[in-house]
Amino acid sequence: MSGQGAAVGGVARRRTRGVLLNGAGILVALLFAFPVYWMINTAFKPADEIQTYVPVFIPTPTLDNFAKAIAQPHFGDFVRNSVLITFTTVALALVVGFLAAATLARARIRGRRGFLVLVAVAQMAPFEALLIPFYLVVREVGLYNQLPSLVLVYFIFTLPFTIWSLRGFIAGIPADLEEAAMVDGASRVGAFMRVTLPLLAPGLVATSIFCFITAWNEYFYAFVFMTDVQNYTLPVWLASFRTAFGTDWGATMAASTLFTLPVLVFFLLVQNRMVGGLTTGAVKG
Amino acid sequence: MRRPRLGRALPYLALLPAFVTFVLLLGYPVVLVVETSFQHMGLRELINGGVTWIGFENYQAIFANPDFIAATVRTFAFMAVNVALTIVLGMLVAVGMSRMRRSVRLFLSIAMVLAWATPALTGSVVFQWLFDSKLGVVNWALSSPGVFGDWLNHSWFETGLSTFFVISLLIVWQAIPFVAFSLFAGILSIPPELYEAAKVDGGSERQVFRFVTLPALAPLLLMLAFLSVIWDFKVFTQVWTMRQGGPDGQTVTLSIFTYITGLSQRQFGLASAISVVMVLLLLVVLIPYIRRMLRQVDA
Repeated sequence: MSGQGAAVGGVARRRTRGVLLNGAGILVALLFAFPVYWMINTAFKPADEIQTYVPVFIPTPTLDNFAKAIAQPHFGDFVRNSVLITFTTVALALVVGFLAAATLARARIRGRRGFLVLVAVAQMAPFEALLIPFYLVVREVGLYNQLPSLVLVYFIFTLPFTIWSLRGFIAGIPADLEEAAMVDGASRVGAFMRVTLPLLAPGLVATSIFCFITAWNEYFYAFVFMTDVQNYTLPVWLASFRTAFGTDWGATMAASTLFTLPVLVFFLLVQNRMVGGLTTGAVKG
Repeated sequence: MRRPRLGRALPYLALLPAFVTFVLLLGYPVVLVVETSFQHMGLRELINGGVTWIGFENYQAIFANPDFIAATVRTFAFMAVNVALTIVLGMLVAVGMSRMRRSVRLFLSIAMVLAWATPALTGSVVFQWLFDSKLGVVNWALSSPGVFGDWLNHSWFETGLSTFFVISLLIVWQAIPFVAFSLFAGILSIPPELYEAAKVDGGSERQVFRFVTLPALAPLLLMLAFLSVIWDFKVFTQVWTMRQGGPDGQTVTLSIFTYITGLSQRQFGLASAISVVMVLLLLVVLIPYIRRMLRQVDA
């Protein structure tokens, strides 16, 4: 009898704990989502719903703040600079990274291990500690306050990960298929291009999104290297929101939303790969 | 006859651009930072050229500077708090995720992806809005229940500690998702036989966690702590954009100190010495991690 009572008590206790746990889960989820929700919420609010002590949780939506953000002097320049720098970085990292990754995954050459170690070491490079030498070099070669200086730095930042990631994807595609094509008379490179490259599309997309996010978000180097307003990237402009917008939080949040939106979209596309990718790469590195 | 020879050179040609990037474009700055740290290098030297080697004078100068010592202590304390909070809370979330209902877990996952994907800079700007003294939603939320007192017009950025609190909140908010997702994946990959065996042996839930879950996750936890230390030790964007090291220099960490010394004061030699010391300090912190990781790789 007592044993049965304990069992019933156990079930009840487990059920209470389940309710508590799921309740806590919802609460934690709300906490995590809140800052992003509040950014978007404020971005769509008319001024009188922002300038109020009791916050408005569901706004009467307006696009005024976005209009104000876009009408800022040089807004077009910032977008153009960010897009230009980001896409050039991605293209460079992808081409150079792909050449190296394909070789490392497929060719049996001497020095392969040594090169992998080099990539792993490069991935650990503390870029925050290399600001001064990069600044000196960029000045020396006349790239200071020029967009290509950021392309160069971001390319160096993203290349190690690009090689690791692409090499992993290529290694995951069996070489047998290429060998079959070679039996049919294709060359080594031709077989790779015709058979493996099409299968590599998801890997290329995931890797380039990672590069995109890194370059798009980068603030430190952009802040140091770009001195003229028309050369600012979006993050540098956004960080100066107090100068740009004063205390106009509506316009500030609209600008933040515009800057963040592409990252959110791209991130959602690849987030499944991010979890495994970062840790396995690091373990092997 | 010509094709095989080209074929043999081809892999090396394909590796060449990446090789040049690592050795020259990355290797040279690494050499240069060490070299500059032994030179007197200011704006005059930058413009006129000319190098004065001064041995360890830069290093002596920074270690004699109380501001540098203060920034170092701050950096370590800040890092330790952030890493500990990230790992502990990330673990809690992961364990919770493994036991909650599917729908709640999905909801939580989406919310965490939002936090994770938010660029650091956006986070900093949004948190300054959340914690705004007059119209910030945080002060309203703290005041309205009436039990925490009146937070109206409370300024979060008046003291260093309070500013660090907001920055840490921001960093931990963005760092937990990755840690929680990784640990959740780790929990899922623990063989269920281990749990069954523990239950047959009459282990309580706490014992199962202590003797099955935790040991199985140990390598992953170590990895995540390792990555968090690296990220939180060098963090610049969130600290700088929140209050530029203020109020009154009270949130100046080593990255900020390097930036101010190098780019604001144009003392490139000193700033290089700080960078070198920073990397060495980070390496010292990481040595036990690296050694244990190597041991795990060998085992």
